Amino acid sequence: MSRSGTHNRARNEVAIVGYAQSMVRRHAEQPLGAIAIDTAKSAIADAGLTVDQIDGFVGSALFPTAGAHAAIDGVSIVTPHWLAERLGVNPRYAAGFQGFGQIPGSVALAVNAIASGAADYVLMHRALHNPVGQYHANPMREAPGPMQWTAPQGFFGPLAMIALPYTEYLERYGARRETMAAVVVEARKNGARIPWSYWHDRPLTAEEYLAEPTIADPIGRFDCDIPVDGVATFVFTSAERARDLPNRPVHVSGFAMGQPTHRRLMLHWPLDDIMATGAETAGRLWEHAGVARDDVDLPQVYDGFSPFVYFWLEVLGYCGPGEAHELVEAGGIDSDAPDGLPVLSGGGALGNGRMHGIPQMLECYLQLSGRAGERQREATVGLACHASPHYGGAVVYSSEA
Amino acid sequence: MSATQRPLPVPDEQSAPFWDAAAKHVLTMARCSQCGAFSLPIDIVCDHCHTNEPNYSFEPVSGRGTVRSWTVIRQSFLPGFEDVLPFVLVDVELDEQADLRMVARLLDDTGAPSRVGLRIGMRVAVAFEDLAPGKSVPAFVLDES
Repeated sequence: MSRSGTHNRARNEVAIVGYAQSMVRRHAEQPLGAIAIDTAKSAIADAGLTVDQIDGFVGSALFPTAGAHAAIDGVSIVTPHWLAERLGVNPRYAAGFQGFGQIPGSVALAVNAIASGAADYVLMHRALHNPVGQYHANPMREAPGPMQWTAPQGFFGPLAMIALPYTEYLERYGARRETMAAVVVEARKNGARIPWSYWHDRPLTAEEYLAEPTIADPIGRFDCDIPVDGVATFVFTSAERARDLPNRPVHVSGFAMGQPTHRRLMLHWPLDDIMATGAETAGRLWEHAGVARDDVDLPQVYDGFSPFVYFWLEVLGYCGPGEAHELVEAGGIDSDAPDGLPVLSGGGALGNGRMHGIPQMLECYLQLSGRAGERQREATVGLACHASPHYGGAVVYSSEA
Repeated sequence: MSATQRPLPVPDEQSAPFWDAAAKHVLTMARCSQCGAFSLPIDIVCDHCHTNEPNYSFEPVSGRGTVRSWTVIRQSFLPGFEDVLPFVLVDVELDEQADLRMVARLLDDTGAPSRVGLRIGMRVAVAFEDLAPGKSVPAFVLDES
């Protein structure tokens, strides 16, 4: 593992200098775009800046539904271009990230824009919407294109997608579905402590988790993050300019992404694909960030579906292949235990709502900037994952430049 | 055959031979004319040799394979599956080529995999569901042979 990483010329050169997180609600009273405007203005003010200083806008507008819901800018999605225009800014740089791993993808756009001088102050946002009606319901009667190979046969949507590799995991490693209660209870415990979380003050017991029927075996309702309305916004600038701003900067040390080289049926994610490409991404991450796993105080794994917690723990090397369920069962991810890995200390998506990788990123920012309040931990280096290891990515943050 | 509400496959220029054969309950796979490998799904680029002129030929295959994973679907997000809920989906590696995979319903003992003791590694054979005149889609049954 190379730790020199001389090719990452932006290492710790770009920092987060402010943030805002809206309340996370099942269905917000305001339109999504209105929440995005409020959140953007709050983040800019939090950074000690004014709207006219923001010259870069980045983000992902993916609407992660398999349903027939329309993607309408300002209503069910919010693009960087929409946000800039509504704030009255003609940005020097505006770019949307296409693809999976929306949060590391967007952070990479922000870092590259600032490091290259394309923009000086970049606003990154993620706005997620929960439409009225069933989130993934789709009344399609015809299946053209890639869907012809799956939907008529009954293979459709993200629950079946994650159920297949999860079954592989359970059978291959002799793991028990019951063990996952510790993951979901941990996420909800931490989410219950977060004022803006949909699950604020609502922890979950293992008994409640186990009492819930499965939807796509072995996946039950509590293994899935709940769809919500919510917006998070971060302001990035150079480490040099960050020194003159009010908050303690949190630097981006590096990031990594990846994708498999072989094509599959739509949403067919075999376990071996997830782990093989995920391992490549993890290797890229250590090299790009110039850190080793043991340097990381605050790893935040992605948990939009609970099995991703096992997959990321193994991909990142916190345990061997097939051992994450044993680590979890032994209390190894209890963030309140002195020797527990705090991988869900920010509540994750299971403990906040479907904010994609925002809870992981926000936890890194809050803890490393010393702004976590009653939840403050000792941490210098954070790691935030997003999406599946084989299509997503991760970012390493540092409070030290 | 009662009219199904299930989504029906829409054959395109490339996939039409597959669906024509399926209507006769024959499973075919698309073989790349350049490298000879099978691909599913088919695409304008071969997944194996990356030629952009795969000129696939569709060849009948045995339809036999091994279960690589499975799930029980208890809530469908698509129309027309209410009558068959809960149903089993199997992720099958076909015998013809390493990692040649299909995902479809397992028609045995629907919804109660514990009764058939469904496990990864079990053998299956292709079967077909007739959804509409000229519209049949592949599925699987346990292969006891």
